[in-house]
Amino acid sequence: MTATTPMPGDVGADPHGHTPADLPDGATPPDPIIIEEDMPRTWPDRLRSWSRLAAALVGAIGIFSAFLVARGADPIVVFEAMWTSAFGDANKLGETLIRATPLLLAALAVAVPAKAGLFNIGGEGQLVLGAIGAVLVAYSLGEETNGVLTLTLMAVGGAVAGGLWAAIPALLKYFTDTSEAIVSLLLNYVAVIVLAWLVFEPLKDPMSTGQAYSRPLAANQNLPIIWGNRVHLGVVIAVVAAVAVWLALRGTRWGFALKVLGGNPEAARRAGLKVGLLGFSALAIGGALAGLGGMLHVSGLENRLRPDLMVGYGYIGFLAAWLARHDPLKSIGAAVLLGAIAVGGTGLKISAGLSGAAVNVLMALVLLAVLGWSRPAPKALR
Amino acid sequence: MNVEAVLAGAVAGGTSILYPTLGEVISERAGVINLGTEGSMLAGALTAYAVGIQTGNPWAGVVAGMVAGSLLSLVHAFMVLTRGANQIAVGLVVTFLGLGLTALFGQDFVGRGVVALREFPIPGLSSLPFVGRVLFSHDVLTYLSLVAAVVLWFMVFRTRTGMKLRAAGERPDVLHTFGMSPTVVRYAAVLCGGALAGLGGAQLSTAFTLNWSEGMTVGRGFVAVGLVIFAAWNPLKAIFGAYLFSGAIALQLQLQAEGSDISRYLLQALPYLAVIVVLAILSRRRANAAPEALSRVFEHST
Repeated sequence: MTATTPMPGDVGADPHGHTPADLPDGATPPDPIIIEEDMPRTWPDRLRSWSRLAAALVGAIGIFSAFLVARGADPIVVFEAMWTSAFGDANKLGETLIRATPLLLAALAVAVPAKAGLFNIGGEGQLVLGAIGAVLVAYSLGEETNGVLTLTLMAVGGAVAGGLWAAIPALLKYFTDTSEAIVSLLLNYVAVIVLAWLVFEPLKDPMSTGQAYSRPLAANQNLPIIWGNRVHLGVVIAVVAAVAVWLALRGTRWGFALKVLGGNPEAARRAGLKVGLLGFSALAIGGALAGLGGMLHVSGLENRLRPDLMVGYGYIGFLAAWLARHDPLKSIGAAVLLGAIAVGGTGLKISAGLSGAAVNVLMALVLLAVLGWSRPAPKALR
Repeated sequence: MNVEAVLAGAVAGGTSILYPTLGEVISERAGVINLGTEGSMLAGALTAYAVGIQTGNPWAGVVAGMVAGSLLSLVHAFMVLTRGANQIAVGLVVTFLGLGLTALFGQDFVGRGVVALREFPIPGLSSLPFVGRVLFSHDVLTYLSLVAAVVLWFMVFRTRTGMKLRAAGERPDVLHTFGMSPTVVRYAAVLCGGALAGLGGAQLSTAFTLNWSEGMTVGRGFVAVGLVIFAAWNPLKAIFGAYLFSGAIALQLQLQAEGSDISRYLLQALPYLAVIVVLAILSRRRANAAPEALSRVFEHST
């Protein structure tokens, strides 16, 4: 077994070529056991797979350039500006790392349930709830409480809030068979509405005019700055979280049970695993991780709640998880890469006067390259 | 409470959700789930808006919107059917692509005056009390959406084409046995779904909100994917699904207008919560209605 997990199964891409209709009437189709047979094993295979992916990535950049040209921008200038914005000097690199922090936790929030075969697309909402939970804890503790204790409780508050938010799709999944993908996705919109309500009504800073935001956090409610002017401790905490998730998935019974569940739910059930509880725990822990991400973002950087606090972070985190194929350690790199592209949006805006959201195109194209070309195409579909 | 206003609002606002729901019904009937519907809607909304302004003809815009929606769904179809990538992940990436492309190309159209699809009250019928305003005082695309639901229902359940479509989603090998390619049917279904999502987006920007802004669909495409379950993959039931969502929006607006005690921010959550609640109630009952190939999307993921 390689450390890499197989890509989730795809319709028509069952490695054994089974389809339900291969079976006699009335028989339930066996759950396919996915063996990592599409992962290259030999060096020539690996080389071939890498060059295929490299070609796809070049294609992605080429298509993005074509779009830029269509908008009258010079791709070289844009890429240069994006690179400078993301990695130009120490401060800019710091900016990328700060951006990558909530992305990494949002990616972990996708990766953990994915091991159990569950889709968590609710990272955005869970990040938002985490930020809200952390800020509410901070407000209720006041400024007098010891800093370390305050920050710990804020982290717990964020994680609990994110976990509870993810528990909604988890509970609906197990009690009513409702798709956790759709429910977690729709709850993102609800979370953003709750955030808007809080900052426009109960938590509104009386000093704010025009733009709505909540009261700022006190100095001891901010994560310490560890590098430069803005890079906060959250960057380290996120990496520690990724390593912890990696260890938990690979070294604990729980992690093993999740993989069994993800690989073959029926086998998991027959082996006596508590399938419902396992899936629930995977989603809730995923939500808690995203919640922690929201706390780090608000306590380390934003300092207060505002309506578009976390816009896009959850979805980009989802992309990061898939870029890393749900591997917690690789997620670190994926989060930094997508964080850099996101920060590069500023450069794109300044150099070409284009909407910063245009970098979403580049992210999407990179993801398409990775999703579609990191392994051979399935053999002729039936 | 002004029931007439709520119902009329539900029908007017429901069109832009009914089209993508119908599109997703078709796509999922063939066994492909497409979360890129949201992206296709955005593409349709911007393209219709932009082409309408450039040509001065809103109908040219509508057609262009459908083309844009189906082009984006072609990306989904290719990735899923030809490259064998995961449907849920690709769907979201396609939505992301749609979000980015419409941001990139839509910038110049923010705040430009729309060439609107005018309302077309049906002579006679629209002057009926109550139903006249609720049902017969809308734009043409709204009437067409109801016709489309009926036509698609007939197509899916009563024609050979529909049989092939359903076979692709239930028993792909049977199609294969008869010398037809399930892949081709699925491509066609996804493209058709994308065109309908684009049409929904076109109606949204040129007949309902009458403006263009980044991300203006605010999850309607995702809601449509959820409503397909509510509709039990049946185009006729999709009508009720769409009006459930838009009815909740209209109700929320009416409550705001009447100065309800509940915060207007929280009222905005009502439509999404309504869909979640309905799905929670119905999902178990719908399990058997789902096309066979579709359940496999969710089964193997790691």
